[in-house]
Amino acid sequence: MGVIGEAIQWLTDPVNWAGDGGIPHRMLEHMEISGLTVLAAALIAIPAGLAIGHSGRGRFLVVSLSNVGRAIPSFAILALALPITIKLGLGLGFWPTFFALFALAVPPILTNTYVGVAEVDRDLVEAARGMGMADGQILRRLELRLAAPVIMVGLRTAAVEVVATATLAALVAWGGLGRFIIDGFAVRDDARILGGAILVAVLAIATELVLGGVERLARPRTVSVRA
Amino acid sequence: MILAQADEPLVEPEWVMRNLDRIGERLVEHAYLTVLAVGIGLAICIPLGILAYRHRRIYPPVTWLAGFLYTIPSLALFAFLTAYTGLTTLTAEIGLVSYTLLILIRNVVAGLDSVPLDTKESARAMGYTDRQLLLKVELPLALPVILAGVRVATVTTIGLVTVTSLIGKGGLGFFILQGMRRFFNTPIVVGAVLSVLLAVSADLALLGLQKAATPWARNRARTA
Amino acid sequence: MAIRRSKKNLFLSLVMLVVLAACGGGDGGGGGDAGGEAKGELTVGVSGAFAENQIVAEMYAQVLEDAGYTVDRQLDIGSREISQTAFNNGEIDVVPEYLASLLLFLDPDATATGNASENAEKVRTALQGKNAVLLEPSGANDTNAIVVTGETAEERNLEKVSDLAPIAGELRFGGPPECPERPFCIPGLRDTYGITFREFRPLDTGPLTVAALEGGEIDVALLFSTSSVIEDKGWVLLEDDKNLQAAENITPLVRQDVVNDEVTELLNGVSEALTTENITELNARVEIDNEDPADVAQEFLEDEGLL
Repeated sequence: MGVIGEAIQWLTDPVNWAGDGGIPHRMLEHMEISGLTVLAAALIAIPAGLAIGHSGRGRFLVVSLSNVGRAIPSFAILALALPITIKLGLGLGFWPTFFALFALAVPPILTNTYVGVAEVDRDLVEAARGMGMADGQILRRLELRLAAPVIMVGLRTAAVEVVATATLAALVAWGGLGRFIIDGFAVRDDARILGGAILVAVLAIATELVLGGVERLARPRTVSVRA
Repeated sequence: MILAQADEPLVEPEWVMRNLDRIGERLVEHAYLTVLAVGIGLAICIPLGILAYRHRRIYPPVTWLAGFLYTIPSLALFAFLTAYTGLTTLTAEIGLVSYTLLILIRNVVAGLDSVPLDTKESARAMGYTDRQLLLKVELPLALPVILAGVRVATVTTIGLVTVTSLIGKGGLGFFILQGMRRFFNTPIVVGAVLSVLLAVSADLALLGLQKAATPWARNRARTA
Repeated sequence: MAIRRSKKNLFLSLVMLVVLAACGGGDGGGGGDAGGEAKGELTVGVSGAFAENQIVAEMYAQVLEDAGYTVDRQLDIGSREISQTAFNNGEIDVVPEYLASLLLFLDPDATATGNASENAEKVRTALQGKNAVLLEPSGANDTNAIVVTGETAEERNLEKVSDLAPIAGELRFGGPPECPERPFCIPGLRDTYGITFREFRPLDTGPLTVAALEGGEIDVALLFSTSSVIEDKGWVLLEDDKNLQAAENITPLVRQDVVNDEVTELLNGVSEALTTENITELNARVEIDNEDPADVAQEFLEDEGLL
């Protein structure tokens, strides 16, 4: 098909690899914000999930948050973030994108962390307590290790969602790979739209594979884990 | 200097009052686009899933294709399709249906897989034909898992419908885009809140359906 | 029949129903104009998703509806490329266009002047053999505007666009994503004024660009000469001293297969009533007071006796 050929031409044209609007720069922007938001979300959601999973309190919050979080259209979050960041004097581009993607990443990480910890065999926890381990130790040495694979799945889900949604952020004056899609759409440059789409898809798949690999490494080898 | 919008309240009630009928129209459009997409997705994935369940070899390529479609960023898919199918419902639906395929096909097959071997064997022992087995045993027992997939597909689709505002459709997303184009908070908030409410209600309604359809599975409830 | 099976049957029939509804309903296939003659169905679109365009499109839609046509609106088309594609496919039948920009879009080698009638004739020549008719230009002229904040104008002594030429390399420019491909935007600034900015930020035809200029994220903005925000915020519209911008009068573009005497008369009636001053006022009501384009259009038409 002609347009695929055009897209490949666009992808291999050295002009498109140069400068601020070029593929490497946009790719980097995209990876940066995806990484930052997932990291920030993890820093908040993992400790929270661990605490709630371990103590069992606040369970309702997690379940409701995850249901509602799953239901919020990312486009809506992005649109809402814009007036808020402007009111806060944070401007366009980076900050509304960051807030929206952060809000998107928290629910899957939180839910999975909570479920991962809550699913740990209670007998094991009792045994650990019987051995005289303190709560903190149980959490770190037992629950966290056993929950690690499930937490990783949450991180992976969040990361892929973030990478995909970051394409919309071009609508709030941010850069990233979505720029090729939005700008291409504006001037009906189908090669650019397809090229941008291919780049995002590649990034999303790469994210899946890399984090999937890390996930496998995170599986504890000594104790069997309930899937 | 402060932007006019910075002082603006988040929602202007007069706008809502003035636009009640437009809001209603868009709500209906949103629901219609969603039901259509999930319906078509099911119409494709139930037969395809049954086929994949019976002939394992086609399952990997089918999920690969569905997964591939799922990876294409929604915005790009819609933008790209407009060149061929225009700013129409067809364009929106091609995209929306594509995104339901992965989750639905997985759940149809997983649902059929979850039917206990014993049950199938007793049914065979009772002389059930393949067709009777499918219709009277396998599909009904697969229903909870299939419905779980329908739930996720529906909520996801409701979210994606908002993106179709960029190609002239959008349902409630129309207000979100309109608000962004005019830097006017109210339509954004109204569009966003209503989309969430729609998604949460659809989720709960389908959860109810899922529970009602599977009285024997009530005690096996796990966190979604 | 087993209870379980009837539940499953119900479910499957619901699915079938939905699919049948899809085949029967929908919007009648991709842009099919089934019987769009006489008092048929028309779709009014826009050539850009900003207030002015939407207001004028609403005016066209309302006068047509008032005369008995069934009118569909497509008011969220982002740029001329998308709009023209939709127009050529028959997805939209009527669209408010800007003379010089339309001319150069249809014929990149043409020369647009500051004279509306001349530009209109050239557009008609370019449209020959196509399924499109250009009606009469209105008196409302909306050109691209190169805008800086009041502070910037004072600091850098800026009054005319050519004042930017020596310092452009230090300045950041923002506007709609199409700017790099528009003869009256970046290429024109470069060729006519020798201006090359330090960087270009792709934003939009309105709020993002306004917010970026206000927040200091860009130094120079591309807006429109009828944008009410310019005066409202005390910004400076730099004088187009080398006449890069040409006559951009708002004019209705209609598909040949829907145009008839009545449609022509109705739409020309709207054009006659529009002036640069009154459209700027209407823009202000939508852009600043957050009124709806449809309401603003309706009031205007009623005041002018067109409804």
